Amino acid sequence: MRTVCSVWKMGSLGQALAICLGLVGIIWLWQFPAQSQQDANGRCLLECHGKPDFKKEIAPGQFRTLYLDYAQFKASVHKEKLCIDCHTDVTVLPHPKKPEQIHCLQCHYEGNVVGAPVRERPEKYKESVHGKAFERGNPNAPDCKSCHTIHAVKPPQDPQSTVYRSTIPKTCGGCHIEVYAEYLEGVHGQALRKGVLESAVCTNCHSEHDLYAADDPRSSLHPRNVATTCAKCHGDVQMMERRGVPVTQVEAFKESFHGIKIEFGVLKSANCVSCHSYHKILRSSDPRSPIHPQNLAQTCGQCHPNATANVAMGKFHIIPSDPEAGIVFYISQFFKWLTISVLIGLILHIFLDLYGRFRLRRAGE
Amino acid sequence: MSSDERMHLRINLQLRIQHFLLMTSVALLIVTGLALLYRESAFGRFLIAIEGGFESRGNIHRFAAALLIFTSFYHWLYILFSRAGHDEFMQMLLRVEDFRDYGRTLLYDLGLRREKPKLDRYGYREKFQYWAFAFFVLIMILSGFVMWFHNWFFGLLPKWAFDVALAVHGGTGTLILILLTLWHLYIVHLSPGKFPIDWSFWTGKISERQLREEHPLEYERLREKGM
Repeated sequence: MRTVCSVWKMGSLGQALAICLGLVGIIWLWQFPAQSQQDANGRCLLECHGKPDFKKEIAPGQFRTLYLDYAQFKASVHKEKLCIDCHTDVTVLPHPKKPEQIHCLQCHYEGNVVGAPVRERPEKYKESVHGKAFERGNPNAPDCKSCHTIHAVKPPQDPQSTVYRSTIPKTCGGCHIEVYAEYLEGVHGQALRKGVLESAVCTNCHSEHDLYAADDPRSSLHPRNVATTCAKCHGDVQMMERRGVPVTQVEAFKESFHGIKIEFGVLKSANCVSCHSYHKILRSSDPRSPIHPQNLAQTCGQCHPNATANVAMGKFHIIPSDPEAGIVFYISQFFKWLTISVLIGLILHIFLDLYGRFRLRRAGE
Repeated sequence: MSSDERMHLRINLQLRIQHFLLMTSVALLIVTGLALLYRESAFGRFLIAIEGGFESRGNIHRFAAALLIFTSFYHWLYILFSRAGHDEFMQMLLRVEDFRDYGRTLLYDLGLRREKPKLDRYGYREKFQYWAFAFFVLIMILSGFVMWFHNWFFGLLPKWAFDVALAVHGGTGTLILILLTLWHLYIVHLSPGKFPIDWSFWTGKISERQLREEHPLEYERLREKGM
């Protein structure tokens, strides 16, 4: 009793502090149960989908879990949404029948009113190889959720996202296992594993939603577009300097026999991947690489049957105006200056000739 | 008929045919070659379009190349096995005098010499053009062959040889174009007295005046013979 009294007598500062602490405590106690009550998803979770052993027998002895890791959902971009925002056909709880399959396009369409972002037009997906396969009824064809997950959708910038740069190969590799293994062995996969985030991942070459088969002219992998696709990074001076990779290769290719032919639609001509291969791209110093000097005869031999080790004698991707081109640089310079001198010489010569004729005519008069 | 209007046969039919084949093939080669060289520009795109597209451009180029090679061989045979051709060729051989004539002409044009050098049937102009062109055609045929039959040459030549062939072909081609327009075409089209065209390439004939002015030695020789 004495103690309490002395507390009360401790002056206004202590008094205020005690009152504040008390209030915070009360608010906290009052708020805690209220939150789970106010979360409208609470009812879905509390009785059914929040229980880890909540499952359904889909066939005798076969069960399918109907549990939802709500913590994951609350970490997703849809954390503010209610279950029934998407599962719109659930009107009473417990719902008497299995809810219809939902579709992302319920919200993610141009002009939607709930503010769902539409960064990539869904039409792109519909036109893509995946969308077409889905339309044909291929059970393995991926749709949105195959890459973006169902309840744990996170933005691409989030390192936890399935579509975060360094995770993309793994996400695609979920179906394309062999390609994933090849990719991890190649220079891009190796760099990514070392944490080089700007190294090319699947989507850099294949695109994401507008992913077309390589023989489709719209595809980033169509023979006409391959060089441009590679140039997105391999023409980026700053990025290539950071990585210590030569940057003029694509430019030189476009000026070469092969590049010119491709540009004018002769598609049987070689493009980048014809020689460098694609998923498992290796350095020329790697004996396994198709562009290793010892393998060049075979690589060029795919199209040029007479190719021998001779093809390794010389530089590749040369730009005649660049001293790096060696003998070709000197020949180009020789012709450049010869042509300029001949041009000037001949023009002077014409004037001289005219002057001579003029003098002859005057002398004749 | 005044003596000035008398015409002399300067270029025989054989040579006129050879010149015509050469002119046709080289014109085609230049137009199709330029199309490739300037493919990035509107001019190049236009040329490619009128040549029937990219592949057709290449086909015309190779057809014209075959025509040029045929003409070259024909010319060789004409020089080697025809009396007239052999005589013409012997007069076409370069002599030290030709370089002196060239120097004298330059001095004369500059007003440093009174007399214009007297030129023969083939003066330094004709000879320089002939030999420069023969040399360039040889280079173009050789470098062109490497590219045309690259698949065959793959077993023979190192990779850099193909790059060299391309650089030489483009460089020499440009040089030929400049020489043709600024020298040959100036002489036969634009130089005073010739405009719009010196028809001798077609008729083979030149006027007595032209013979006297441009080839005085030949004129004098002919007159001594009483022609």
